[in-house]
Amino acid sequence: MSHPPPADPVALEFDQVTFGYGPVPVLREVSLQIGQGTFVALVGANGSGKTTLMRLGLGLLRPTQGAVRLFGADASRFRERWRVGYVPQRASAVTSLPVSVTEVVRTGLAGQLRPGRRFTRQHRERLEHVLDLMGLDDMRRRRLGELSGGQQQRALIARALVTEPRLLVLDEPTTGVDAEARTVLRESLEHLVKVEGISVVYVSHDPEGFAGLADRVIEVRAAQVVCVDPISLEPVGGTA
Amino acid sequence: MGALEFGFMQRALVACTVIAAAAPLVGCFIVQRRQSLIGDGMGHMAFAGVGLAFLVGLNPLVGALALTIVAALALVRLSRAGVGGDLSLALIFYGGIAAGFLFSARSGGGQNQILSLLFGSPLNLGWDQVGAVTALAAAVVLVVTVLYPQLVALAFDEAAARAAGVPTQGLVLALTVLVALVVVGGMSSIGLLLISAMMVVPVATAAQVTSSYRATLWLASAIGAVSAVAGLLIAFYANAPTGAAIVLLALGGYCATALIRLGVRSLRPVVRRSRRVAVR
Repeated sequence: MSHPPPADPVALEFDQVTFGYGPVPVLREVSLQIGQGTFVALVGANGSGKTTLMRLGLGLLRPTQGAVRLFGADASRFRERWRVGYVPQRASAVTSLPVSVTEVVRTGLAGQLRPGRRFTRQHRERLEHVLDLMGLDDMRRRRLGELSGGQQQRALIARALVTEPRLLVLDEPTTGVDAEARTVLRESLEHLVKVEGISVVYVSHDPEGFAGLADRVIEVRAAQVVCVDPISLEPVGGTA
Repeated sequence: MGALEFGFMQRALVACTVIAAAAPLVGCFIVQRRQSLIGDGMGHMAFAGVGLAFLVGLNPLVGALALTIVAALALVRLSRAGVGGDLSLALIFYGGIAAGFLFSARSGGGQNQILSLLFGSPLNLGWDQVGAVTALAAAVVLVVTVLYPQLVALAFDEAAARAAGVPTQGLVLALTVLVALVVVGGMSSIGLLLISAMMVVPVATAAQVTSSYRATLWLASAIGAVSAVAGLLIAFYANAPTGAAIVLLALGGYCATALIRLGVRSLRPVVRRSRRVAVR
């Protein structure tokens, strides 16, 4: 799969975004830019609005006011979905039926297929590449439910990476993952940012997962975003 | 004289087998989406459609198809309006059964005719009806085949599928219409109240022994078809209701598979221990 190189320097931009599920806004006049090839951690207390912010960024929600742009285009009408990889919380991967690792990863390509079309050789090559990249080669036929939390998380990241995205959004990726798997995850993310040049938005309440990796840490607090120190998580100057 | 030498048995065999094989193909997606009872809701709405058809003098199949598709659209609209999945299904469920009974009572439709639709009467089908059931089953197979990668993505994780560019809203509607097609297709053979079991039970059986989605899909379809053939033959020789025999046989298959798995699991440590002893 060869995609044209991206021309926009900003992967994701929130411009004076306000959003609320009811009359009280969850986010108020939020402005934030995430450049290409950067690692941004998004922190905040439970219910602070970080997942909402991320869903707005993916175009899954529409802002009440303001604009969200993905690679310069309106996020809710963004067509080039291959450029964005999304790893939801692992709880969403609980399956009622058996599903193999290969099948999970392959679902990442479903948005690129027209109805009735089969996966191409390029798709299959890409699939092989991400299985290898995420260390899932020898467990491709195993049921997702049989794997450890860390292995499941790697499968979900592989699904998000299978389209060769330029922006990877991870929602609480270390929840329920053991220490060894966290280390593997850190190494994988480091490789993606430094070698593959992918922008990463890492949503978490646990700073251990992104310590030393994040270029910027943004806290969602009282419906606003503020830059915080990556280690102390105390507010620092500068715009988000 | 064998059962299949009778023309009515041949017609029943074709109608029951094709719909019982097609039903789990849709069931795989609704079970994964935790909507196993959606077929029941649709069945009740089809009952209302049949009652309405009796009232206005239409073909029952047309009435059932029209109202189940309206119900499919209503379910999707209610869900988008923020009405919870189980609540919207309950509204359809109760509305369907009440309207069905009212329409049937007003139309003066015979109780036997209504019972035959609720619990199936494949032995009374003509070739034209068998053709209609086969066409509905074929439509289901075609749509599932064409949309398979997108439906798997939707069933597995709707938010991630949407983020990846899968048109999830249209697919949810397509899946709900597929449920409606199976319910209407199974109405005259397995019965409105029983056909939804054939969307769920073979899938639950297959899922116990498979390790992939695709294998579950095809094995469940095969289990559905075998249950239909065996159930029909048992019903013929035992003079039992056909729809009930098919569903009970499918449930028996589920229980037998679960028991075998349980037995294998409990035997495993014993086998391991005896192997260790043999090695020593």
